Parts: sequence; structure tokens; C-alpha cells
Amino acid sequence: MLAEILRFEFDYRKRRAATYLYFAILFILCFAAVTSQYVTIGGVAGGQIKENSPYNLAFMTIIMTFFMTFIASAIMGVAVLRDFDHKMEALIFSKPLSKFNYLFGRFLGSFVVMVLIYCSIWLAFMLGFGIGKHLPWDPSWKEKTMLPFDAWSFIQPFVLYGITNLFIQGAIFFAAGALSRKSIVLYTQGIILFVLYQVTSQLLSDIENKTLASLIDPFGFRAFIIYTEYWTPAQKNTMLVPMEGMLLWNRLIWCGIAILILVITYYSFSFNVIRTGLRKKKAIKIETSKIRPEQVTIPSVSQYISIGANLQQLWKQTIFYSKMVAKEIPFIAIVLVGLADIIIGSFYFNQMYGTSSYPVTANVLGLLNEFDLFFLIIIVFYSGELIWKERSVNINLIIDAMPVPNWVNLVAKFMGLLIIYLGLLITLILCGILIQLFNGYFVFELSLYIKALFVNTLFFLIAWTLLSFFVQIMANSKFVGYALMFVFFLILFFIDAMGIQHPLFIFNSGSLDRYSDMNKYGHFITSFSWIKLYWLFFIGLLFALSVLFTVRGTDVLFKTRLQLGKLRLTKPLLTFAIATIIGFAATGCFVYYNTNKLNTYLTRDQEEDRQVDYEKTLKKFENIPQPRITDVNLKVEIYPDKRDFVAEGYYWLKNKTGKPIQDIHIQNDVLHNMQLAYLKFDGGAKEKQTWKPLGYTIYTLTHTLNPGDSVKMSFKTSYSSRGFVARGSNTEVVYNGTFFNNSYFPSLGYNDGFEIGNDDNRRKHKLPEKERMMAQNDPVGLGQSLFGDDSDYIRFEIVLGTSKDQTAIAPGYLQKSWEEKDRKYFHYKMDVPMVNFYSIVSARYEVLKDKWHNVNLEIYYNKGHEFNLKRMMESMKASLDYFSKNFSPFQFRQMRIMEFPKYAEFAQSFANTVPFSEGIGYIQRIKDPEEDLDMPYYVTAHEVGHQWWGHQVPEANVKGNAMLSETQAQYSALMVLKQTYSQEQMQKFLKYELNRYLRGRSAERKKEQPLVDVERQGYIHYQKGSLAMFALQDYIGEDKVNLALHNFLNDWQYPGPESKQKRYPTSRDLLGYFTEQTPDSLKYIITDMFETITLFENKAQTVTYQKKADKQYEVTLTVLAEKLRADSTGNEKNIAINDWIDVGVYHKDDQGKDKLIYLKKHKVNKKENTFVITVSEEPSKAGIDPLNKLIDRHAEDNVKSAEEKTVS
Amino acid sequence: MELTISNLSKTYSNGVQALKDVNLTIKQGMFGLLGPNGAGKSSLMRTIATLQEADSGSISLGSLNVLTQKEEVRQILGYLPQEFGVYPKVSAEDLLNHLAVLKGITNRKERQEIVKALLYKTNLYDARKKNLGGYSGGMKQRFGIAQALLASPKLIIVDEPTAGLDPAERNRFLNLLSEIGENTIVILSTHIVEDVKELCSDMAIINKGEVLYKGNPQDAIDEIQGRVWSKRIAKSELETYKKTHVVISDKLVGGTPVIRVLADIAPEGFDAAEGDLEDVYFAKIFGTQVITV
Repeated sequence: MLAEILRFEFDYRKRRAATYLYFAILFILCFAAVTSQYVTIGGVAGGQIKENSPYNLAFMTIIMTFFMTFIASAIMGVAVLRDFDHKMEALIFSKPLSKFNYLFGRFLGSFVVMVLIYCSIWLAFMLGFGIGKHLPWDPSWKEKTMLPFDAWSFIQPFVLYGITNLFIQGAIFFAAGALSRKSIVLYTQGIILFVLYQVTSQLLSDIENKTLASLIDPFGFRAFIIYTEYWTPAQKNTMLVPMEGMLLWNRLIWCGIAILILVITYYSFSFNVIRTGLRKKKAIKIETSKIRPEQVTIPSVSQYISIGANLQQLWKQTIFYSKMVAKEIPFIAIVLVGLADIIIGSFYFNQMYGTSSYPVTANVLGLLNEFDLFFLIIIVFYSGELIWKERSVNINLIIDAMPVPNWVNLVAKFMGLLIIYLGLLITLILCGILIQLFNGYFVFELSLYIKALFVNTLFFLIAWTLLSFFVQIMANSKFVGYALMFVFFLILFFIDAMGIQHPLFIFNSGSLDRYSDMNKYGHFITSFSWIKLYWLFFIGLLFALSVLFTVRGTDVLFKTRLQLGKLRLTKPLLTFAIATIIGFAATGCFVYYNTNKLNTYLTRDQEEDRQVDYEKTLKKFENIPQPRITDVNLKVEIYPDKRDFVAEGYYWLKNKTGKPIQDIHIQNDVLHNMQLAYLKFDGGAKEKQTWKPLGYTIYTLTHTLNPGDSVKMSFKTSYSSRGFVARGSNTEVVYNGTFFNNSYFPSLGYNDGFEIGNDDNRRKHKLPEKERMMAQNDPVGLGQSLFGDDSDYIRFEIVLGTSKDQTAIAPGYLQKSWEEKDRKYFHYKMDVPMVNFYSIVSARYEVLKDKWHNVNLEIYYNKGHEFNLKRMMESMKASLDYFSKNFSPFQFRQMRIMEFPKYAEFAQSFANTVPFSEGIGYIQRIKDPEEDLDMPYYVTAHEVGHQWWGHQVPEANVKGNAMLSETQAQYSALMVLKQTYSQEQMQKFLKYELNRYLRGRSAERKKEQPLVDVERQGYIHYQKGSLAMFALQDYIGEDKVNLALHNFLNDWQYPGPESKQKRYPTSRDLLGYFTEQTPDSLKYIITDMFETITLFENKAQTVTYQKKADKQYEVTLTVLAEKLRADSTGNEKNIAINDWIDVGVYHKDDQGKDKLIYLKKHKVNKKENTFVITVSEEPSKAGIDPLNKLIDRHAEDNVKSAEEKTVS
Repeated sequence: MELTISNLSKTYSNGVQALKDVNLTIKQGMFGLLGPNGAGKSSLMRTIATLQEADSGSISLGSLNVLTQKEEVRQILGYLPQEFGVYPKVSAEDLLNHLAVLKGITNRKERQEIVKALLYKTNLYDARKKNLGGYSGGMKQRFGIAQALLASPKLIIVDEPTAGLDPAERNRFLNLLSEIGENTIVILSTHIVEDVKELCSDMAIINKGEVLYKGNPQDAIDEIQGRVWSKRIAKSELETYKKTHVVISDKLVGGTPVIRVLADIAPEGFDAAEGDLEDVYFAKIFGTQVITV
């Protein structure tokens, strides 16, 4: 019988076109993903990770299970539901059929169908990779190198993740459908699964939550990501992801839950047609009236047919529909789940190294935006529900025959939803305020909430609702409507990859960007308003069409509807439609005029083409000898309210080469569309050749510039904002919080930074692969600093003009400040040589001033961002203290920090000047000083560190360069932090660094370098740098490291072609100073940490102890220690170990906290080691490298709880 | 006011011809539309009720063109579809009130009065607070009737209104209709001959989209009078009789079939029978050729 039901279900599906449609959709999507560049699934392949690597295949397979949720709800959910929907239950349940056979027959039948549909995925992958090379649509395919075909790497993830997920989702949907007997419950169900996944991503902003996050994601995706997060490209290319650890647990738990759900379904499924509800229905008292119907006369009433009556009908209907939606249980469920998602998120938001931010309204808005996903679900489902409401309950003929104009009904449905939306938006605002309240933050910016939610979000809601109405009406089938909406989303998603990026073509485009407390919504309001107006007309037109073609009565044929539409085209409607068309066209033209006429519109592909053009045309000039800038003197007039600036002034260029120079190559900044008014040389020059679109001009000097001679180059250049742009709006020159640097000004010679760096993209354009940096012995690289080959050091003087209410700041000391013609001017001058890298900042600032010895300390900030000023000030002082004592004296008499808007989130060190984003530091919140890392303190220390590392010693522009600047700034900050904060906090910080380093190397696209050869790889020069330097000072001593740095500075301060070494230093130069301070017995650590990629697998295996006497405990530890060496792709091999490694023992103190009572380095020279240690307090746990100073992928297993061994 | 249907035809996309050149003139009073299931009754009524397009032909109501002046027709229309549902979670009173607004009864007091009166009239007053989801088939049908009577319509179209009503309810409803029908056009479709006989001054019989008869019910009965014969036969003989006679109906009376045949002269062994509307109906549907003889 079971087999028969199974076969029945199977046959049913076999006959359904939808089954093949699902298969086809998945197949096409997967096939396109592997064979074309327009569709990408997951996007983890690329660089070193091959497209057909087991890792990428598994990744794509799991991503595709997300799609399965839709299909599972359609297939598994309706397996039983179908009988109820078609009112077949009475017929079926009266057959001699056992509940078990019925339920599990249906389940298994659907499940088999699901598995077969899902096979499309690996079939498509296999076929795609098999014939991709021969397909015409992606020519770059031929260049790709693929791994040899391995069928198991396609099938294994399908079995381990695919089938298990199908089973889990299948069971859940099956149960939901069978038990609720309502289709909308199924959709809600799917949403909850996604929310669980969503929640895991929020949990993960605290790395302590990895285990939890791995377990609660029903798709197993999070567990997969976490399990493989430290896998190197080589491992990803060669290893199948095994089913073990957290992955195994995740699968077991969820499969267990699925089985449990099936069991529950079996027991609670009622094999009766009528169910007894859980709650007893309230009995409604039936009054009995005495009046006999015959005696009643029907009163005559007046019937109003007027616009006034229509409005009244509209209002009645509106209320009716909004009540209807609000009462829907699934609706309430979606809303609650959405709110829960936000509330969970509120515990973690904006975390950085586990430290969260103040819930300023701008931050809370970011959090509330997560509700958009739920809004979208509500829009799609409930606009469909409402459009189909009458027809689904079959009251449509009655309603349709009512004397109500078509628009009333549609507008009422729309307004019904609108009321729902407004209610939700108010709920969200309340939710936001409550979050702020519970976080002890009491600055409620209600107007900002209203602006953000009632403008941006509301428009989004309206636009999508009317689109969905239109689609539902035209599709004339609810499910086709839903499907079309889904297809629409997919198209929007992929349209970008196809080069369609113009806002005129992206539905509901127009963004306010993020809200900055400094710049508010800034200039984005203009483009936002116009583009939204454009879409408003569009959706108005859609609405007019909806009214014309809405089905009223029983005619559904499109031909008939067209005829009816003609009939309905009344004068007001026609006027409305024409007005929307005109408005749409007019605003469209206006937007186009702004984006494409006033400004140049380039798609991403066109931008790339320009880069290719640049490289192909001008690369030949790359190493042509050019003079260097020695003097910069500028006057920059900033007009913040126009977002313009004009810079005029001169450079002095000096020929530092040994040969005369005739031609000067000038690069004008075309990326920012800078307009050069003039550029001239004293003594004269003529344009020899110019490439206008590339901004490149060669001037021939009238008088040859002989070695050692200088020439003055004067110029005037301006930046102007005209109208608005289609994308990539400039966020550096803004109303309040302008921050740009000298890259806007003319520079010398070819700039290889404009080239395409990504090898995959280069291949697409048939460009050769490119080294990321010059080799360490390249004389060109050694002769220039990280700031480029334009200059070594400059004398710097600048006058900044800005609006009256703003303060403008550039490096140097303020000479004078004055007002003139309602503008404010600031004259800055630097009295020592500085690198050719300067910032120009202008904003309405508050300022906090302090002093450290004779150094003026200033923090410029936006009013309201006072939270961390003290910490930053303290950090500046502590840093200056430590650095000047241990490294060398501070070269300036002033140190300033200036806030800039959070369009970018970083801080950057210029000479005695540090612009610092409002998004980090300023609003970070150290809730518990014992627990939370003081990030503002740390970032400030890092940036102050750069005044030494980068500004006192600019390094050569060759591989390994950042080990001198970034790594040493990290070290400097760590040492400042170490003085102020506890060992636990340092450990916590390093744990984050370790995590980020290991994750960074796993995503390496080209090759992982050892620290000494780092080539702009953040995870190496920051994260690994921190770890290596911290370990180094732990092994050889902080003072030794500082001595090495001191000596290095002594020898290498202000290096360059004119210094005693005649060049800039490299990482190997610095390494020499470290080696010098390292005893021979420890020299191996220099090799391990700096010169190679070395990893450890340390693990505590057993920890036992015996009480020997009072206050005497003997701890016996067995530990495993392995040492591995990795190559640049991450192939690892074990190497012999002969290392000094920490062994530590903890004791639980009175407060229940584990404290280290023993920590000493022991020699470890084999894999398995046993140590016997006597301590004076009862040990709680012990292990090897307990503080994680070494790079170890399983840092958590280094320590184990100690067990007492009774004396026998 | 008069409803005139001229040359109305409609073919569905699946090829079924629902209406074939229908011509009818319907005056004030009750008009019965008689026909078996699938005869095209509902199609015709939906077309009159502005809810369906015709391929050709025209319908006019007084000076209104029903096919184009839909809004105007809807203002004076009361329509009860053959099958309809209700919002399950709304009470009868609320929904009726809601529909009254849609009808244009925007005066609150008037609305309350008419809603109350109609609920009394349809005997739903006591259950007015109950959600419609909990209504029985008969109650729901009565609700449907109530809504069709909102705002004193000039044209009432009721499609199979008595289906699902018990005899008492049916009587009451038919009385109600005839009460209203005095100065209104009421079109009543049914496959129950009795309904038409009792109420209608005018009628049409339609089958397979064609009007087979139109006129006064009594005229129709008169026409057939004296030509209907009945006989009690054995079950096994039925097929033979069907071949040799124009059998217009056969039904079981006390377990054995009694057939009625149409003939100008009494067939052998048959008794004369009182012709009634049902005979007309069956004769029109099954015995067309004989009638025309």
C-alpha cells in the first residue's frame, strides 16, 4: 500500500509541468553559473581557487539548497495540503488506508521527486564544466585552468548537504502543510528557516559564537563556512569537505529534528475531515427574535453615486482590507520573526573585534533596514493575497457587480496595505527607540527615523507593492504572479553583471546612501528625489494599466481584457495615464541629462576598458626618469555647499637623476574629472603629446632640466560637482566633512595603480598576469617610497579657504586664520620635510584640546560624538610617550585627529594629522572595560605609530614594504595597549587577529606571502604582523624589540636617494635589526614568523594532577605538537619541531576565574610530549601555548580541564 | 423599463458555445429561465449582470446599453450568482453593511435600517453576529439573497436561488421575490420547474445555449394539454418504449417506472395525464422534433 501511495505521488508529479520547470530552472541557473560570466553562485571561486574545485562545488551545491526552499514548499508542503485544497480529503480518508501509509507514502513520493529535481544541479555542473570551453558566450573560459574532472566531488556534496537538506526541509514543509492545512503557513515556514540562517550571521560578529552559529543554521551552510574558514586555496582545490566535527553535528541535529517532526506529524495528523480545534470556539449566543420576516418591509434608501460616495467606499474597503491582513496569523508570524531578527541583531550590532557601537540613530536605522527583507516578503505575498482575495473566497461575482469604479477597489487594496506598512514602520521606530533605551542611550532623533523610514522605506514599499499588483493582475494567476516576482528579483540580481547598471533601468533605484551624523544625507537627497520621482511616475503608469486590465467578472482572456480596457479608458484615467507617461519621460530625461550629459556615465565594464586602454597606451612610459616634487605650495578654495574646490599653486620639481630631463609627463586626475585650467613651467614648455581621455600629457621643457636643477610648475585645477551622477557619487567632497588627498592634483608620470590588478579580470582583457609589487632588489622600487615615485620629501605650505562655519585642516602648523568675503581661511605650513601625501579636510567641527609636553593635541569632532574623545586623547598621550621613549623623538609639535563622514570606515595617518572615520572609534562603545576591547584607543595608537612607521621611515615600494609601516604600527599599538589593558584583553585581541589572518589566507587569490615579502595583503601585514611581533617580543623581550626598532630608526630615519644609504629600506633591512637582538637559540623564530609560513597544531591531550602535599600539586600534561610549513597556495607539510613553546597551568580563583599560575617555555622536540609540573595551587586546566602566541588553527584545543588522579 | 437581448452569442475559448443567437425581451415582473445544468443560463445571466463579455449581439436595459454602460447598470442591479463564497471571518451584519456601502448607500442611518430589514427578511437577524464561515449552506444562500436586494434594485438577477433551501425557506424566498417583482425586472434561473410555475409571468426554456421556448408558462402548459400520456411499465421495458415513443420523462413511483410520453393521439395502454410545466420543459428539451410536428 505504501508503495502504491508512493507511486501515486510520484506519478502525480511526473505529470505536472511544474516538476520539469523546476528542474529546468535549476539546471539552467547552474549551467549558466559555470559557463557564463553573468551568473555567479556564491562567488568563492577565482584567483587561486578553481571553479571546479571540490570546495567551490560544495559551496555552490549548498547555496542551491536555498533555492530548494521554494521548491520544497511547493512540492513537500502541498503533498497532503493538496487534498484539502481540492476538497478531496473526504474521499481519500474514507478509503481503507492506514495513516502511516498515507502520510509516508506521500512524503517519500514527494521526497524522491525532490531528489530527482535536485539532481539537475550536479548534472548541470558536470555538463557545464565538461563543455564550457566549447561554448561561444564566454571567451575567457578558454584561458581558465581547471582541475581534472572528479565525479565524486560533484556527487559528495550533493549527498552530504543536498539530500540531507532536502530531507530536513522536506520534513518541515511536509509537516507544516499536513498539520496546518494552509498554504500560507508554508511560506512563513520557509522564512523562519532563513531567519535562523540570518541570525547565525549576527551571532558571528562575536567569534565566541562559532559553535552555536554552526549548529543552529538549518541549511548547514554556516557550519560548512566555519568548518572550512581556515582552509587554504590548496586545500580547497584538493580536499573534499568531510562530514565531521561541527558539520556532522549540524547534520545530525537537524536530521534528528526532521525525524522528530515527522514522528510528531504522524501522531498529530488527524485522519478526520473535521478537526477539533485546540481551542474551543467561543459559542455565540443566538438570540431569538420575535419578528416574523413577512412583517418586515424593506425600507427604500437613497443611493449615492458620486465621487464623495466613492471616497467613502474607498475608505471602507481600505479598512476592511487592512484588518484582513492584520488578522492573518502568517502575517503576524512574519512580523514577529522579523522583529525578533532585529532584536537579536541589536545585541551585536556594528561590532569590531567584539566591541559594539553606540546605538546612535544612524546605526539603529542600519539595523532596522534588515526588516526590508520581511517587508519584501509581506509585499509579495499579501499583494497577491489581496488581489486574489475575492476570487479565492469566491465572492468576486458579488463584489464585481457592485456599482463601484475599478480604481476604488485597487486603490483600497493598495491603501489597505499602506496602512499595514505605516503600522509596521511605526512599530519599527518604537522598536528602534526601545533598543536605544535598553542600551542606555537617550538621544532619540525622531525626525531622522521618520525621514529614513517614512521616505526611503515607504517609497520602497509603495513601489514594490504597485509592481506586484501589476504583475498579479497581468499574470492572472496568483502563483504565476509569485513566480514572476521571483524571476523579477533574479533578473534584478543578474542584470548588474550584464552591464546594466544605470539607475534608469534598475527598478526603484535611487539611494540615500548611509546616513552620516556629520553630513546627514548630504547631496544624495537631490539624486534620490529625482530618481524616485521618475519611479513614482512609472508605478503610477503601472497602476493605471492595472486599473485598465484588472479582471472584473469572468473574462480572463487577455483579448477580452484588452477590449474591456478600452471601455474603461475614461477621461480621468486617460489623463492620469498620459500625465504619468509624460512625467516618466520628462523626469527620465532630466535624470539622463544629469547622469550622462552633465556627467560622464561609465559602466563597470567601460571603466575597466579605460583601465586597459591606459595600460596599453601608456605603460611604455612607466619607468621614464622624471624629476621629483620637492616643494608644494597651494591655495585651495573649498566651496562645501557647492561641493566644488579650486586649487592653484606650484610644485618645485627637481631632477634627482644623473641625466638631463627634457620631457615632463603629467598625469591629470581623470577619475575625479579634474579640470586643469592651466599648467605651466617657469622657463616655458610646450605640449608634446597628450591623451585627453587618459589625462596624460607630455610637456617638453624649453630649457633642459639638468641633474640637480629644479623647475617651478604652476597649475590651477578644479573639481566641480554638476547635477548628479548615476553611480559612485563622490563622497569625499561633501557639504560637511570633506576629506580628500593630493591624488586629485596633477602627478608625475605613469601610475600603475590605475591598472587592473585582479588577474581574473586581466585575463578577460587578454592582459598578462601582473605581479602585485616590485621585487625587493628592484632598484626602481628601492628608489621610491610607498607614497610613489613623485617625490621623496616636500616642503609644504597651503592656504585653505572654506565656508564661514567650517574649519579646514591640512598637515602643518596653523600660521594664520582669517575671514574674508564671508569665507574663512587657514594658512598651514610644515617646518620639517614631509612625505608627499597630504589630506585636506573641511567640516563644522567642535574641538578638544590638550597638551603632551610641548605637543599640542587636538581632536576635531562632530557635535554629539563626544563618547570616546577622552580615550583617544589618552591614547595619543600614551602612544607619544611610549614611542618617543622607545623608538625616537616625535618629529612634530602637534598631533591632530579629525572626524570625517562614515562613507568610508578607516583612519589614516598624514603628517601630524589623522583623519578618522565617524563610523569607527568615535561611536564605539566600551560597555564593560574588563571585557570589551578599547578599539578607539587601539586605532588611535596605531595611527600615531605611523608618525614613526611611514612618516619617519617611509619604506621602499617593494615587496614586504608594509611590514615596515603597518606591521610596526600594529606592534606599536599593541605595546601601548599592553601597558593599559589586561593580559586577557590582549589575548582576546590577538584571537581576533589570528582568526582574521587564518580567514584571510584562506581567501587568498594569488599567493600567500611570508610577512617579509607581503604584497599589500592586509591579513598578513596587519593580522599576521600583530601575531608575529607580539610573539617576537614575548620570546626575545619587549626591550630587545624596541632596541632593534630604535637602532633601525637611528640608521634609517628619512631614507631615500639622498640619504646615506641612497635608497629606501626594505623589510629585510628591518629583519636584520631583529636578528641582531635575537639569541641564536631563538633565531629559528625569525624564520618561522617572518620568512616563511609556519603553522602549529598544538593540542592538550590529557591533563591530570595529584595532590602531593599541602599547597603542592603535581600536574601531568600530555600534549601534541606539530609544526607545519605552507607554500604560497597553502600546501602544507610537516617539519621537524624543536621549539620553545609555552606550557601553562591555570587555577580557578575565588571569583571563579581561571588565572595562569604557571607559564614557562619548554623545549618541544617531538610530536607527543609529557610534562610534569608542580604548582602550589589546585590546577583547573592546563595546556600548551595557552595564550595562543603561535599560529594554530585549533587554538581552542590547546588547553584542557585538569582531572584529579586519586593516589593509589 | 424593459430588458432586450438581441442576437447574443458567446463561445468560450475551449470551443463550447454557451449562447447561440439569443433573443429575449423581458418585461417587469418575474421572468423564469429554465434549463438543465450547463444550458447556458449562468452565462446569459452573467452577461446581463455586466460580468461577462459577449462575442456578438446586444443587451439593452431601458435606454442603457448593458454591454458598455456597465457602471450605470450596476447601480440598479441586484445579483445573486449561482455559486459564491464569503469572507469566512466576517459576520453577516458586517459584510452586508460593507456591501451596502459599495452599493452606494452611504447614509449611515439608512444603511443600518436596510441591513436590519434585510436580515429580518432573510431570517438571519438572530445569527447576524456569527461569522459567515460558520453558516450552513441555506443560511449562506439567504445571505446571498439579502445582498442582492440591497438598495432596491431595478434589475434583479438570481441564479439558482432556491438551491440548498429547505421547503419553508424556499417558499418564503419565492414570496419575497414576487413581492418585489411587481415593479422590478426579476430574472430567475432554475432547473426546478415548480419555481417558475408558481411565480413567473413569463419564461424561457434554454438548452445548449439556445432559447427553445419563450412565453407565458400557462400558454406553454395549454399548448401541451391533452398530448401527455402516462403508463406504468416494467423496468426492462423502458428502453423499448424509448425507441418507440417520445418519452419525455420517466420516474419511479413506488419503485416501478412511470413514463410520460408525448403524442397527439393516446398510444395504446397509456392513460391521459394532466400536462404541466415540467412536461413542457422535458418536451422542449428531449422532444423538440415532436413538438414541431
